[in-house]
Amino acid sequence: MINIVVKALNDGQLVFLASETVYVAAVDATNENAVKKLVTFKNRPFGKPFSVGVTDIKMAEKYVVLNETARNLYKRFLPGPVTVISTGKHNLAKGVEAENGTLGIRIPDYPFFQKVCKKLAKPITATSANASYQKRPYKLADILDNISKKQKKLIDLMIDAGKLPHNEPSTVIDTTLDDKPIILRQGEIKLKKKNEVLSRSGENTQNIAKELWQKYDSFVGNRAIIFALEGKMGTGKTQFVKGLAKAMGIKEKISSPSYDLLNSYDLLTHIDTWRMINPNKELKDLGTKKLIHDKSVLAIEWADRTVTEIKKYSEEAIIIWVKIKYGKETNDRLISWGIT
Amino acid sequence: MIILAIDTSCDETAAAVTRNSEIVSSVIWSQSSLHASFGGVIPSLAQRQHQERIDWVVERAIKNCKLKIKNCDAIAVTTGPGLAIALGVGINKARELAIKYKKPLIPINHIEAHLLSPFVNSKFDSEAGRVILNSKFPMFGLVLSGGTTVLCLVKGIGDYEMLAETADDALGEALDKAARLLGLGYPGGAILEKFARSGNPNKYNLPFPLQNDKVKNRFSYSGLKTAFVRLFEGIKNPTKEDISDLAASFQSRAFDHILKVLEYHCSLKVTSLLFGGGVANNIELKKRLRKLCKKHGIKLHVPYTNKLNGDNAAMIGVTAYLKNKNVKNLNSKYGGIEIIESIDRNPKLKL
Repeated sequence: MINIVVKALNDGQLVFLASETVYVAAVDATNENAVKKLVTFKNRPFGKPFSVGVTDIKMAEKYVVLNETARNLYKRFLPGPVTVISTGKHNLAKGVEAENGTLGIRIPDYPFFQKVCKKLAKPITATSANASYQKRPYKLADILDNISKKQKKLIDLMIDAGKLPHNEPSTVIDTTLDDKPIILRQGEIKLKKKNEVLSRSGENTQNIAKELWQKYDSFVGNRAIIFALEGKMGTGKTQFVKGLAKAMGIKEKISSPSYDLLNSYDLLTHIDTWRMINPNKELKDLGTKKLIHDKSVLAIEWADRTVTEIKKYSEEAIIIWVKIKYGKETNDRLISWGIT
Repeated sequence: MIILAIDTSCDETAAAVTRNSEIVSSVIWSQSSLHASFGGVIPSLAQRQHQERIDWVVERAIKNCKLKIKNCDAIAVTTGPGLAIALGVGINKARELAIKYKKPLIPINHIEAHLLSPFVNSKFDSEAGRVILNSKFPMFGLVLSGGTTVLCLVKGIGDYEMLAETADDALGEALDKAARLLGLGYPGGAILEKFARSGNPNKYNLPFPLQNDKVKNRFSYSGLKTAFVRLFEGIKNPTKEDISDLAASFQSRAFDHILKVLEYHCSLKVTSLLFGGGVANNIELKKRLRKLCKKHGIKLHVPYTNKLNGDNAAMIGVTAYLKNKNVKNLNSKYGGIEIIESIDRNPKLKL
């Protein structure tokens, strides 16, 4: 049986196989024609990527770059129902990797799939065998009842493993945000004059922001002002922006923009790069140029992830780099700032 | 009432066709999830991506249900809250279709839609005028996601009183941040939950957020986050067991906070709780909420499928229906080019 499946995959055929989650539509992920066939079957728009199944971490490394986060996840969860997204090495058929060059990899915890993959010695697409947006396929009938004749014709081989237990679908996790920790190295940002103060509470941090605002508020209307905030999780970057907003006379409640990326309050635009994949590009895409041109005030959290883009505005804007570090006591913070 | 609904409030591009409170078709282009099954989010900005996808997604939602746009009674679209440039793409598309097909255009609040998502595919007996799910107003409403942490009193559809909202991070965001700190990738809330299952939630003594609040009318995760960073940094070479215990401890304390605030308001003698948003996928939290609800004689209502906890347009369509049960009034309220063109994005829209 294994030999039959391997031969079919080698011949560029579309095969339905069981996995520990659902039935998957398997093709040789290095074969362009086979992948095209799969795209047609899934009825997907161009550019929507496919996850692939491999046998082990060694095989995965041929196709993706694994960072520490990815390695942790492989060690802990694979084989198993977790798909780990990493930066691809661009050596699979077109359309398997995402447009941005990332690739999702699974190691299915299912002996038959493993054996086929091992013998084939190539990654196999592990996308669920339903057409897009149809029922999750726990048995072959789930698929066949929901597809067109045209789609049926595309299937070359189906291996019936009966009704699969209703396991959770695979959890997808992206590790590429941790690819290149962009750390603001000492010396990279040269501050003309550096100041440092100790904050003993969140309220204290807000007051420091207020004082800092008063130093620069005379520029409002003449120049854009950027507060570029750097500091580990939980150091109080949002606290700082709360203080800034209060000093600017903004009455609205300031909350974290991590999820929405950008919140605007009159003159103040509050940005967070924490979950941006391409922080420099994404900061630009948010319309920063126009904001600078309009002489807005920007507070950017995790600014160390987007130094290159922020630096581009140094002609037009006053850039105040603010660094918050943990101090000795639980609530102590060392806040330093300076302009470039 | 047949509604074509569109949502582009954040990373997902979504369209759906709904008939009254039921889903006819629902399409979500989720960047983060190759299987479109888990409601995480990956930003890869924003306007351009939605712009490329919106036509395909709407077309697919229509095609999947064998209806035509001309058969719809109205178009509904999310106008906020969310990222302005993302919202704009959905609103432009909805406006274009509303004008082209001469349909009323109903603006919808994304948080309200999450709040009402347990009503999706629930039976509604309009003749008897009975409340859906056979529950009586007022109800509690709890929306917990990557961007929202809200507890409110639902006095009726469209009539809400805020009981507590977050002063800093949303719960889903805090869970994702804790996960990323532990080296578990992004969005890590779901993986954090998996680790937490085998961990000891009492191993580390993390602080209870806002323990001294006498009136519990807000949430906050900044203090817990800080304590967690400091705790983690003090552990040299954490083992898998350590990571599991850390995950369990953080998750447990983050949930304690939600439960304490909810329990504080239980004196209101409300008998139902509506619960939606991405964190409603968390099995442990649902278990703990159920226990609390049981103690106070409250019935917990969650969406019939986890797919509705992530961002989707089906809940937008159903919300539009629940707020406008009378088809005849649609046109006078939401019809005409002037009204349609006046509908605009509102990134900071409140419940």
